[in-house]
Amino acid sequence: MNLLAQTRDLLDRAVAATGDPRLVRARRRLDEPLRVAIAGKLKAGKSTLLNALIGEELAATDAGECTRVVTWYADGPAYAVTSYLRDGTAEARPFTRRDGAVRIDLGRPAADVDRLEVRVPSARLRRHTLIDTPGIESLSADVSARTHTFLNRDGRADAVIYLLRHLHGGDVRFLEAFHGGGEGGTSVNAIGVLSRADEIGGCRLDAMTAADRVADRYTADLRLRRLCPVVVPVAGLLGAAGATLREEEFRTLAQVAALPMDHIVELLLTADRFAAGSEQRRHVLTRVGLFGVRLSTRLIHEGVVTDSAGLAAALTEHSGITRLRDLLRTHLEGRAGVLKARSALAALDACLAPGSPLVADAERIRAGAHEFVELRLLHQLRSGRLTLADDRRAEMDRLLGGSGGGVSERLGLTGADDAGAAAREAQARWQRLAEHPLSNRDLRTAARAVARTCEGIVAGQNQQG
Amino acid sequence: MVGRCEAEGERLTTTAADMLARLAEARSIAAAAGRDDLVERLDHASSALGAGAETAVAVVGEFKQGKSTLVNALLRTDLCPVDADIVTALPTILRFGRPPSAALTGENDDRTPIELGEVQKHITGEAGQEARAVEIRIDRRLLGAGLAIVDTPGVGGLDSAQGNLTLATLTMAGAALFVTDAAQELTAPEVDFLRRTVERCPRTVVVLTKTDLHVEWRRIVEIDQGHLRRAGLDLPVVPVSSFLRMRAQARDDTDLNAESGFPRLVELLRTEIAGSAAEARVTAARAELTFVAAQLRERLDAEEAAAGDPGLHARYAERARRSESLAGGTWQVVLQDGIQDLAADVDHDLRERLRLLIRQGEEILASSDPRETLQDFQAWAAREAARAAADNLMLLVTRAEQLAGEVAERFGMEARDISATLPVLRTNTDKARQITLTFDKSGMRQFLGAFTAARVAYGGFYLLGAVGALFSVAWAAPLGLLAGVTLGRRLVKAEKERQVQQRRAQAGQELRRYVDEVGFHVGRDSREAVRRTQRLLRDEFATRARELSRSAHAAEAVVREVAALAEPQRRHRATSLREQRLRLDRLAS
Repeated sequence: MNLLAQTRDLLDRAVAATGDPRLVRARRRLDEPLRVAIAGKLKAGKSTLLNALIGEELAATDAGECTRVVTWYADGPAYAVTSYLRDGTAEARPFTRRDGAVRIDLGRPAADVDRLEVRVPSARLRRHTLIDTPGIESLSADVSARTHTFLNRDGRADAVIYLLRHLHGGDVRFLEAFHGGGEGGTSVNAIGVLSRADEIGGCRLDAMTAADRVADRYTADLRLRRLCPVVVPVAGLLGAAGATLREEEFRTLAQVAALPMDHIVELLLTADRFAAGSEQRRHVLTRVGLFGVRLSTRLIHEGVVTDSAGLAAALTEHSGITRLRDLLRTHLEGRAGVLKARSALAALDACLAPGSPLVADAERIRAGAHEFVELRLLHQLRSGRLTLADDRRAEMDRLLGGSGGGVSERLGLTGADDAGAAAREAQARWQRLAEHPLSNRDLRTAARAVARTCEGIVAGQNQQG
Repeated sequence: MVGRCEAEGERLTTTAADMLARLAEARSIAAAAGRDDLVERLDHASSALGAGAETAVAVVGEFKQGKSTLVNALLRTDLCPVDADIVTALPTILRFGRPPSAALTGENDDRTPIELGEVQKHITGEAGQEARAVEIRIDRRLLGAGLAIVDTPGVGGLDSAQGNLTLATLTMAGAALFVTDAAQELTAPEVDFLRRTVERCPRTVVVLTKTDLHVEWRRIVEIDQGHLRRAGLDLPVVPVSSFLRMRAQARDDTDLNAESGFPRLVELLRTEIAGSAAEARVTAARAELTFVAAQLRERLDAEEAAAGDPGLHARYAERARRSESLAGGTWQVVLQDGIQDLAADVDHDLRERLRLLIRQGEEILASSDPRETLQDFQAWAAREAARAAADNLMLLVTRAEQLAGEVAERFGMEARDISATLPVLRTNTDKARQITLTFDKSGMRQFLGAFTAARVAYGGFYLLGAVGALFSVAWAAPLGLLAGVTLGRRLVKAEKERQVQQRRAQAGQELRRYVDEVGFHVGRDSREAVRRTQRLLRDEFATRARELSRSAHAAEAVVREVAALAEPQRRHRATSLREQRLRLDRLAS
């Protein structure tokens, strides 16, 4: 019986025994998609990134601060908006769509609303529910507070995508609070995004290269690695535009690209100059940003792309959103089962008296499931509590599923290699380390767990073979 | 626009030149009257007004907002390093100088010349050389107008040790440019920092950069203005594009320069900041001139009075006698008591802040394992210690200014009392005397600001930067032996707990040691600053007292002399004096 099934079973029994509505919710949640919150300082580009990830202009975006209420975007049969209020009741709310964005009529002060839920028919949302949060460090203190409460106290998100424009003290404090510092909080359910990457270094055409450099430095930063092990640069505007580019937008850009080069240079000098031309241009500028306009005109001018589909693909490629999706898949969805089980067991602990047989069962699952052991080790490794040589640390991280739970990802293989042989070889190596008299106790425990992981892979390979 | 700026500068220099000429004329009168003490005072005033007087403009703000780019564009140079990632690590001071040169300023204000080509390496901290600041001298009109631009490091952000150090130095700046970019509205930490900036440096301008990249910058300006209004901060917001300004320079394009928004910023810097600083200097010089003129007039007035009524001699003699007591008057008591209170309050304030810091630090340690949080804890300790020191310095400066005002007021009162027995002359001299003795408030502030702030050399702040060196505990204690022995699981757990306790105790000790060190250095500096304040105030007013007394004696002597003359001679002398008096009146007007 796998971990998720065990947890389901335990929660079923707990619900039958107590009927606690909190446990009912926790049980239901096990069958729902993973909940991923998008958090960050105000104007970090959270809503834009959400639109890029879903591939639809859903969340309203604006130059000023925009998102003021925690909003869930989940898969559903049809578009619908539900408002969950502080007093525990829920009501359906009317909404309109302007340029695709869902504009919701709250019908009451934002302070009364706990959260909004937007149902959208979307294949992407079937894998994870995305949660848009108001910015921290906002000047409206209550807006900031809503995000803090939501993410830190309620524990309602399984994972978080954290948006940084640059690393500020406030970001570090937020991440620390999110992890809580206890045994439950780990560095395994956070992904860092260097957002608005197209604006780094003045929207020049080499912006994404510069952004890569900054992101690499953050990934190497020990202090940040403890909190979120990987940081990728993403230009959200480009990603969103790439998914929803319209024919007339391409035409506007193509018209500009057809001008003589000197003219183009003058026009693209500043955002103001470009926007002054016509209402369409202003619109395109708000859609793709100055970097997007510069990139698009160059691509069209040089004949690299010739139609809107081509441009859309190029924008998506430059945005870095594909890489983020890959990370989501390997780092979070690949671990969805264990993350969800963890949330459910935590709910069980909170609802039942310590010492009851059900809690003891929960403890048994936690201690027994190798997934949890891996998760804990990974966290220890990343938080620097295990001291290892760098190359060995990287291998251990990978084997424990740090860059994806699949066999080839764990073994670091590139297709053609023999997974069984590689796994056996790794197993032997870590077994030796576990038995080596000079290894310290922590390392021996860790090495044994890694060997066990390899063993699992070998067993799986044998079954297949 | 450029033409107008130049004209402004022209006008200001004329007033300063005019004031210098008047000072020189007053000097020759004082020399002729044999008043070498007044000659010295006038020499001081003209040297303060003349060359070398500059106003520091600090460029502050969250990192990556384009501070260095702004400085580069403003001064049309490329000396400040600009990069998508690496940021300014050392404060950079740009002042006027010909030919261009650069130097490192060390811990004791010693200067090591460096190559201009090497400047960037030093500013980013790549050169790895210990220094407090980098100083660059270049030949720019804006700097020549009496400004020194200080580019501050963005490392660590506003809410860090560095941010607090920047705030501390703002107490010594004449103006501040707060930089925020058009990508987003002001954040809560930014507004908080702005509030603390304005407390220390009332002349602050908010500069909104990167308007070339964001089409919605006009709305961001509006939103920011709204935020500032709600925070009760009445500050101008100037949107600029450094990129366009650089471009305009490369192409020598005036329209493009106008589009960059810089002309308004330059205008603000020239008129509001450099202009008003120059004006304040002229005002201070005028105050000195009025004082000296009043001293010189006294003799003339006495002669005139004596010419009308030779019986006045007794009163003048009485006055001269009383003027001698001014040097040891009650203003001395005000100063003594005030300084004692000030020293005690500043010291207590610092102790209180540091005590609180230790308490908070211990709370933090109690809730975590130092092995994992040490780095954060160090950053926290440095930040809080810097904050304590910065706030303490602020208290010192405000209190010193307040005390100086009190002493000046008491001194003025006593000086007036001395002359209370004199007859009222029907000339316009009363007005002049009034001004000299009450010390016009703004002029006082100006002169006091100059010594309390600029001369407080806070060595302690340098120390705070090197906090890492103080925390030097080896956390990786050899546990191997202990752990190697197979203890029961519970025992291991207890052992682990004990180790954590030990680490906490160790970190607590380190914290106390660090705070102790900070307290020692900051306390020493602040005591030194208090002493200097006391000495300066005492010398300043004692000198004035001597000058007043000398004037009173001179007046007495002349009255005696006149009384000995016959009636027609007295009248003749009075007429000849009229010319001299008119000259003095003209000077002091």
